[in-house]
Amino acid sequence: MTVALELALVVFVVSTAVATAVLRDIVASIAVFAAFSLGISVIWLVLQAPDVALTEAAVGAGIMSVLLLVTVAKTARASDEGALVSVNPRALAAVGLLLLVLVSTVPALPEVGSEEAPALQKTVDGELTPYGYYVEEAYNETGVENSVTAVLVYYRGFDTFGEATVVFSAVVGVLVALGGSRRWGEE
Amino acid sequence: MRRTYFESPIVMTTVRLVAPFALTYGAFVTLHGAESPGGGFQGGVVVAATVITVAFAFGVRPTVDWVDERVVVGVFAGGMLAFGAVTVGTVLLGGAVLQVDLLPVSTKYGIEAVEVFIGAIVAGVVTSLFFLLSEGGDGE
Repeated sequence: MTVALELALVVFVVSTAVATAVLRDIVASIAVFAAFSLGISVIWLVLQAPDVALTEAAVGAGIMSVLLLVTVAKTARASDEGALVSVNPRALAAVGLLLLVLVSTVPALPEVGSEEAPALQKTVDGELTPYGYYVEEAYNETGVENSVTAVLVYYRGFDTFGEATVVFSAVVGVLVALGGSRRWGEE
Repeated sequence: MRRTYFESPIVMTTVRLVAPFALTYGAFVTLHGAESPGGGFQGGVVVAATVITVAFAFGVRPTVDWVDERVVVGVFAGGMLAFGAVTVGTVLLGGAVLQVDLLPVSTKYGIEAVEVFIGAIVAGVVTSLFFLLSEGGDGE
């Protein structure tokens, strides 16, 4: 059952990704891309990463699509000559080769949730790994049940501050470019 | 520019029904990042998505007027200032960056407070980006 579901998800995500690339109409492309993000967010859920799934669904499928659509509505749309873009065979070959190289590494990956996975080792040579430390100590040190939140804000707070600054700088840039001194968008 | 807004009683009624719940969910995700999946980033995005949904149903211009862009800018600028104050403050108190247990609250509530600041930044920024991209830049 789960295998069938996962397989269906992979087929869905890969086909929407290909459709995003080959569709000529940019609005259709954005719509399919939103479906792709939704599929990926379900995959994150299957991989037991609900925090990432929530972000992917909200940002990838929701906000990104809206911002892209609004931008496209403001700018031009491609003229419609056929539904699909023509594919450059050499580019396709290069992408296929890269895909082959990437897929060839998949058998080397540990099974999902496998206890032998290097990332899930709590100790290496008797010393706590970062993963082991967060699992063992995060709750005792912070009182926060969701260790993802503890890592994001407490242990890696400097990175999160950097992220917030990046988001802030982005909007300041857009504000300077499009906002002006008047109230937004008022003629 | 092409007409992009069409008034639809079905969409308006649906949004009117869904928006309060979506907004509550955004607040829930922001405030419960410590116990359950999510946090300020996800919660902020949900709040911003709610505003965008309202804008789709009732038109962007009325929504910008209703929300008031000064409020939106105030929210993300305030969040940024507060986050920066906590970041710098913990260092000035002699700790590591964001070592919130130095603050006069429990570590958990310190982390929750930072999540709320992040939520404010993200909600304000995403709403601003949407407002600016759809309404700003005209009439220059």
